Amino acid sequence: MKKVIYSILVTVFFITVTSCNSNDDGVQKGIDIPGITIDGDADCCSAEEAIQIYDFLQTVKIVPELTTEIDGRYRVSVYTRTGSLHTGYNDLYFVATKLTTGNYIKEFTVSNFKPLMYMTKMKMQHSTPISGIVKSFNSNFTAVKQGWISLLMPTSDAGYWTLAYDANVLGQKGGVTPTEVKVDGLPVGQEWLKSFKIDGNTYYLSLVNPADWITGSNEIQAYVSVKSQTGTDPYELATEQFVIDIDPRMPDMGHHTSPDNAALTLQTDGSYRGKINLTMTGLWRIHLTIKDVKGNIVAGGDNLKDGFSSLYWDVTL
Amino acid sequence: MLRLLLLAIPLLADTTISQPRHLDEVVVVSNRQGGKRSVKGQVASIDEHLSQLSHVSLVRRGSYAWEPMVNNMPTERVSTTIDGMKIFYACTDKMDPVTSYVESGNLQSISFNSGLNGNPQATGNIGGALDLRLRKAGFDADPFHLSSMAGYEFNGHLQVYGADAAWSSHRFYVNGGVFYRHADSYKTGSGDVLPFSQFHKLNAFTNLGYRLTNRDILEGVLIVDHAGDVGYPALAMDVKRADAFITSLAYRHTWTESLFDSWETKIYYNHIIHEMDDTHRPDVLIHMDMPGRSTTAGFYSLLSGVAGQHGFQLNADGFYNRLFADMTMYPDGAAPMYMVTWPDVRTLNTGVAVSDDITLPHRQSVHVSAKLAWQQQTLRDKEGYEALKVFFPGMFDHYHQFTGRIAANYNWYPDHWRLSVGMGWGSRAPTVTEAYGYYLNNTFDLYDYIGNPRLSNESAVEANATIRWLPVGDFSLTADASIFFFSDYIIGVSEPRLSAMTIGAEGVKVYANLNRATIANVSLTSWWRISRRFDFEGSLGWALGRDDEGDALPLIAPFNYSARIGYTYKALQLQAELKGNACQSNYAAKYGEMLTSAWAVCNFSAQYSYARFALRGGVENVFNRLYATYADWNDIPQKGRNLYFNLSYEL
Repeated sequence: MKKVIYSILVTVFFITVTSCNSNDDGVQKGIDIPGITIDGDADCCSAEEAIQIYDFLQTVKIVPELTTEIDGRYRVSVYTRTGSLHTGYNDLYFVATKLTTGNYIKEFTVSNFKPLMYMTKMKMQHSTPISGIVKSFNSNFTAVKQGWISLLMPTSDAGYWTLAYDANVLGQKGGVTPTEVKVDGLPVGQEWLKSFKIDGNTYYLSLVNPADWITGSNEIQAYVSVKSQTGTDPYELATEQFVIDIDPRMPDMGHHTSPDNAALTLQTDGSYRGKINLTMTGLWRIHLTIKDVKGNIVAGGDNLKDGFSSLYWDVTL
Repeated sequence: MLRLLLLAIPLLADTTISQPRHLDEVVVVSNRQGGKRSVKGQVASIDEHLSQLSHVSLVRRGSYAWEPMVNNMPTERVSTTIDGMKIFYACTDKMDPVTSYVESGNLQSISFNSGLNGNPQATGNIGGALDLRLRKAGFDADPFHLSSMAGYEFNGHLQVYGADAAWSSHRFYVNGGVFYRHADSYKTGSGDVLPFSQFHKLNAFTNLGYRLTNRDILEGVLIVDHAGDVGYPALAMDVKRADAFITSLAYRHTWTESLFDSWETKIYYNHIIHEMDDTHRPDVLIHMDMPGRSTTAGFYSLLSGVAGQHGFQLNADGFYNRLFADMTMYPDGAAPMYMVTWPDVRTLNTGVAVSDDITLPHRQSVHVSAKLAWQQQTLRDKEGYEALKVFFPGMFDHYHQFTGRIAANYNWYPDHWRLSVGMGWGSRAPTVTEAYGYYLNNTFDLYDYIGNPRLSNESAVEANATIRWLPVGDFSLTADASIFFFSDYIIGVSEPRLSAMTIGAEGVKVYANLNRATIANVSLTSWWRISRRFDFEGSLGWALGRDDEGDALPLIAPFNYSARIGYTYKALQLQAELKGNACQSNYAAKYGEMLTSAWAVCNFSAQYSYARFALRGGVENVFNRLYATYADWNDIPQKGRNLYFNLSYEL
């Protein structure tokens, strides 16, 4: 009798101890992400993928004007680093979510990205350089698509910008009709977008994210785009191959320069990459000499009275 | 009493104590007999006391904080300690050699070891080791002692005021004092004021001792030093403030009937804040802030004893030092530019040293010393490290070095002679500036210097000899020579591929190891007691410095000479002195040095003591000559005629 009572007590004790915990009441076990329900939907991310994307999206900010809903079931959102756009190169991130669960959809496409600037006084419109395609960020974030846009000038009395794009989410088509977005200018000492002409064609040099640079050795990345024939179609990447020689100087320090810089050369992903060494913070004027594959100078490289090319990017660290 | 003491000084000018050849000492405090001292007495500045040492020359960048060069080698090759404590300067431009962080009121004496035979706590000394000995009242001294002094110099309106008091008993002593020094810019021999040569300095210190038992003593030291508004006419910037906080605690045990004499263990800490200032300069192109910090904590444990003929010392020491300096430049209308000039280098160094004084028969003695040290350095500032990596891709943020030295000296003192021969080998690790300095402008050669983390240790072999002839008690003649053969001599070498940063600079130099270099010093000194009242001392000196291509090294003294006549009558002492340098025609053009003309100056001094007072006065540069020496940075001229006097009172 004693043994039976004893075993019952032990059993009761164990049941109580192992289940008396409010943490697991009424929720499914596993990763819990605010605003997202993981329900094993095949179109959507698994819990591990979703948490990675959620964490990544904490580092960027949404551009509310560019959010759209498709078929009442899906939402496409656009993010940039700051939640707004500025002159020059801007990274764009696209994410599609299901409205019911908030989970991220793995298969969707974004296309026909159309930026357009309406010049009010001059009564004309023009576009701006964009990335060739919008594709997956990298193998870790298949549900985040990345593209970029390089805006020629900021919003001002002279004109305003609109953006439009098409999206296809799980077979449903939708998108954003031309929507006005505000484009901020860059502060003094930052000039990240320059242009040059060859035989009547205008080319644009977009410097990628120089705000990431540190004192020391940095990778310098840029895109070369060419003005479209119509001027209102987005400007695609230039088909010609160039070599961008850089000569970084500090105009306030008697044109002090750093050693061991490497010219930007064309990479398989369509960007130009090189190496820039910065010896200190402050204003750096990166003088440019654009050469064709044969080594002939096609732009820049002219030595003005201060001895340096008139074509340059300005970056203030 | 004082009269007798002062009278005794000339008689002891050639000390009868058999000082080994490599040791020299200048006495700072006034109430000690014998030894070298400055004619101005204790009131003289540290730099004026240092200039009394043979083998020491002083590089002047202004009126304050002269850099002691030893055996014609700069501070990188000299170890400076304060009572055995390691201390490191905080200014990237060498505006603050550590001797500038104490006042003459803190010191008993400055002891100097020439060459590789350094004091046990000295590390990295090739040229020599300076130890600034602090003044402690000591136990069983006068129960109460008070001294005060005031001095004035007409050139530059230099005022000095100091007072200190001491209490002493068998169990306890405490002494402490305050010193204040203030000078305006001085006039050169041309009658013009040299702008930006002013300074002021305030120093306070205290020493405590407590006798735990008859054999155990506890001693503590605290020094606080502040210098402000210090001008450096040889440089493009001045100093807003240079502050030091120096403290230590030591425990000493003594034995009477044992192999050992005493065992002292000391822990110490010092912190230096140094800030440069260009706001007073008229033609500043870009305003810059350049602060520097140096913090050192360390210990040493010194065991000494006598075993038969051997007087030995065993020492273990260690220190941890942090050096950080940066620079922010403010160009008009553009963003500030920032760079790290000393990338927060942490140095951890430990070493063991042994020395032995062996007394041999027939008046011979041998002194042997050796030290082995291991050092580890880490660059903690990421921005500074990444910036240096641009110039040295593949460098690391941590390094370690082994250094050591060994030296031996043989002495023989037969009748009428003192003979000394010595040899040694030693190495030193590169300093933080030489290894990790970043774009440091040097106004001597107008180059920007960058450190090289890949430098090898510098090493040298030393040979020295001294012969002193004393045919009679009234006359002595001494010849002294030393030669240093360097391997991997560290000096800045021009790198034409790099772009200078300072506007107006000639280019960039990177520190490099030269295969070989040689530095030699020769001097001839004579002393003659002409009569009961007159004595004469004269000296001639010559030095040579050559790099691996046979070209002259910079800052090597040209042929120099001095002559002094002294007259003593009761409590009055008079002295006339002539000092001069020949033209420095063998200047180091390759290293940016320029020719320095010959010069000669006359000084006159007088001293009179009465009861508890001592009055000193004199005229420096009697003929008001305009001159600059080879060691005056950027050829800044020395003081013109300077009439001074000072009064000291001892209770």
